Amino acid sequence: MRAAYIARRFGVFLLILWLAATLNFFLPRLSGQDPVHAKLLQQAALGGYVQAGIEEMTREYERRFGLDRPLWRQYLTYLADVARLDFNYSIANYPKTVRELVADAVPWTLGLLGTTTLLSFVIGSLLGALLAWPRAPRWMLWLMPPLWALHAIPFFLLGLILTYLLAFQLPLLPIFGGYSPGATPSFSWRFVWDVFQHALLPAMSIILVATGGWALGMRGMMVTTMGEDYVVFAEAKGLKAPTVFLRYCLRNAILPQVTALALALGQILSGAVLVEVIFGYPGIGTLLFQAIRENDHFVIQGVVFIVIVALGLTTFVLDVVYPWLDPRISYRRT
Amino acid sequence: MSERFSPSRPRRREVIKAGLAAGVTAMLPWQGARAELPPVARNRTMILVWGGREGRWVDWDLWNPYSIGSNHQNGPNLVYEPLAFYSAFADKTEMWLAESFEFGPDFKRLTIKTRSGINWSDGTPFSAEDVAYTLNSLRDLGAKVRWGVDVQQAVAKAEATDANTVVIDFKIPSPRFFFFMTYKYDIGVYIVPKHVFDGQDWTTFKNFDLEKRWPVSTGPWQVVAASPQQKVFDRRAAWWAAERKLAPLPAVERNIWLPNAGEQQTAQALITNQLDAGAGMQPATFPTMFTQNPKIITHTGQNKPYGYMDWWPISLYVNNERPPFNDKDVRWALSQYIDRQQLVEVGYLGANTPSKLPLPPYPPLLPYFDAVKDLLAKYDTNEFAPKKGDALLQGKGFKKDTDGFWADGQGKRLAVNIIGFGAAGPAIGPVLVEMLKRRGVEAGMALPPDFDSRFQKGEYDGAIYGHGGSVNEPYATLRLYQGASIAVPGAHQANFARWKNADYDKLVDEAYAVPPDDSKKLAEIWRRAMEIWLPELPDIQLVQNIHRIPWNTTYWKNWPVAPHPYVNGAHWHLTFPMVLWSLQSA
Repeated sequence: MRAAYIARRFGVFLLILWLAATLNFFLPRLSGQDPVHAKLLQQAALGGYVQAGIEEMTREYERRFGLDRPLWRQYLTYLADVARLDFNYSIANYPKTVRELVADAVPWTLGLLGTTTLLSFVIGSLLGALLAWPRAPRWMLWLMPPLWALHAIPFFLLGLILTYLLAFQLPLLPIFGGYSPGATPSFSWRFVWDVFQHALLPAMSIILVATGGWALGMRGMMVTTMGEDYVVFAEAKGLKAPTVFLRYCLRNAILPQVTALALALGQILSGAVLVEVIFGYPGIGTLLFQAIRENDHFVIQGVVFIVIVALGLTTFVLDVVYPWLDPRISYRRT
Repeated sequence: MSERFSPSRPRRREVIKAGLAAGVTAMLPWQGARAELPPVARNRTMILVWGGREGRWVDWDLWNPYSIGSNHQNGPNLVYEPLAFYSAFADKTEMWLAESFEFGPDFKRLTIKTRSGINWSDGTPFSAEDVAYTLNSLRDLGAKVRWGVDVQQAVAKAEATDANTVVIDFKIPSPRFFFFMTYKYDIGVYIVPKHVFDGQDWTTFKNFDLEKRWPVSTGPWQVVAASPQQKVFDRRAAWWAAERKLAPLPAVERNIWLPNAGEQQTAQALITNQLDAGAGMQPATFPTMFTQNPKIITHTGQNKPYGYMDWWPISLYVNNERPPFNDKDVRWALSQYIDRQQLVEVGYLGANTPSKLPLPPYPPLLPYFDAVKDLLAKYDTNEFAPKKGDALLQGKGFKKDTDGFWADGQGKRLAVNIIGFGAAGPAIGPVLVEMLKRRGVEAGMALPPDFDSRFQKGEYDGAIYGHGGSVNEPYATLRLYQGASIAVPGAHQANFARWKNADYDKLVDEAYAVPPDDSKKLAEIWRRAMEIWLPELPDIQLVQNIHRIPWNTTYWKNWPVAPHPYVNGAHWHLTFPMVLWSLQSA
């Protein structure tokens, strides 16, 4: 039954969360580093001068962060905190909380990677489908080799080239940043346009690279689908070509792409770190990268947990909506 | 029966619409959403790049400079005015919020007269109460906040005896306490507004609320916007220092701080006049920038070393607690294997100079270089003399093995694994390793993420690091090598080289008690200390640290360039307000 099916999937989802949260707690601690001490030393040494009292400060803040307590107690506190979605303070950026840091970063990552993932999926899938479709225009055949070649280039490298060409040599777009210096974030068209302009270069680099991959996958699926009996039957019935293309071929061929899209959307929270770094995009990938470098346990735990939830949730949603997308799949046990 | 025909299921269009709406909402950087700032022309705006983490300000809403996650380098240096500024380049102290100060005869009391008629930006008068409150709070908070332990070690109590007089009683003689509070480089005590900070938990208080116009300041800059993308300061219409002709009202009307997105992006933005100042850059980048935008200059114009000498001469530290580096002859042998000129040529493309002593040759320190000139001739810390190095190692029983590496009597190779960080490590580390290898030392190089922790806990063989010591007199540098102190009980000892010498320690304590302006007495102690230090060579002197900061003169001129620098030009240092009020429209 649908309710039992959903409950079972949800149970698996919770189990994955607990396992991942547990690993997430213990893995950063395996390094044996003392993040508070390291952070204070790094901070103190920023100006080349080491302030007095680093040891006392370390003890004070370890007590404050609960890092002076036995590991099992830290673990139980952590589980209770995670259940309330409270990830504590950032060790490296105290008194900023992990929640604040994530809230700062998530909109940028969703905005850049979410949009580009969806756009490259739509463009790539459509191109792939048309490439396999015998009645597609011939010029399309010329489009694919460059897209496949671009697919082999890491998008941060393409990003550097695009920046040089479109922002530096032909100053059409901004070189870096999320919006212009001096602009104020507001719900105005001017600001939205400003954000859009700044997002174009990183978005182009991701879309140009990713589209070829989606197209390649879709083309293969389309070729297989076009050989199915129901497609032959639809054509034999005299249905119009667009109907056969859209409703019989594309709709069925796209199912594995949707699975891949769901997983790709789940992964965007882990971010394209290098793209974010190159374009000065303050997303969640760079937040995690920095937290790992600083061994900031609480930020690592918070970000990784959110990534796990995102992945688990998209898988769960996919499990639930798949039968809705593909009528051949039923919630019932066979 | 399958439930796929359930009438309650959402329609595809609704799902798509909801998804699009959620996506668009999520895209907007809503965390800083507020009314738009009034526009300021580009030629009235100064835009710089500095700091941040991977292109983002993490501390954009953190304006309490004492919380441990805060860093005055990221903007608070414009907000909190000091009691005094000190420029080592000009060797000049500018009294600021303080008008004068006077120590008691035993240096256990300091009386500071603050200026009258100064207001915080919210209209509340600034007074001696703010100074006393700042010091007493730091004393009470100690290890919970930045600078707390430094103040706690010295201050017994601070009292405002009237609106413009602060009397500070010390636990121990503290002849350098006013200089400690004075802004120079990265050291100084930020005077906070009592009416804002009182009753707050200093460890978690952020001091950021644009509606209340926090942070308040006595200075000419008001924070008007802050987000992970940028920090924006607008010039206030009135500023007490301009009214009293102590400084001009800055010509810059808006100052925007962008987080550093990388050297290439910064260079491109400078070339295209989108930026007025960049963060420190590698020497190789400068000729390209000069060619493409002749308006870009540095402290030394468009000539090498493309910057000014920082207060942080760089050394190869070797761990004096670990054999064989606990032997001064081994340390000297390593020093004599290093060709510093080649290090400069290869590591910095010629844009640097060797360093002879662990303090910079700033004007007020030159007499101290002169005081040990004969010692430096005898113990030449820059000498490249591989044969002398060989002789020193042979004298200690080292012989070259079949692979050409030095090995001791037990066949153990002379190996030095060097750790480094920041810009200096990658720039000179590999060159240094190759030089040592060619002389038979089994050297290696790593840039570990926990460099600071390893280095300061003494978990290293060799390390590339600088000296945050003296800028005007030698005590601070002498103290970097002190193993224990009687004069300053419980004092934190840096002693990164982990070198110990009881006679040297006594001399440093002796220097502590000497007033900083008694240069004759200090020079005499300095020389006696160097008579111990130089033959021992606790760490191996390498090169100067150069701040290579690109400045764009398209919109702004009067940057602090040689040969008449009014102050060091780093916008992350506490003295940057002096640069800002000196800039003139181009």
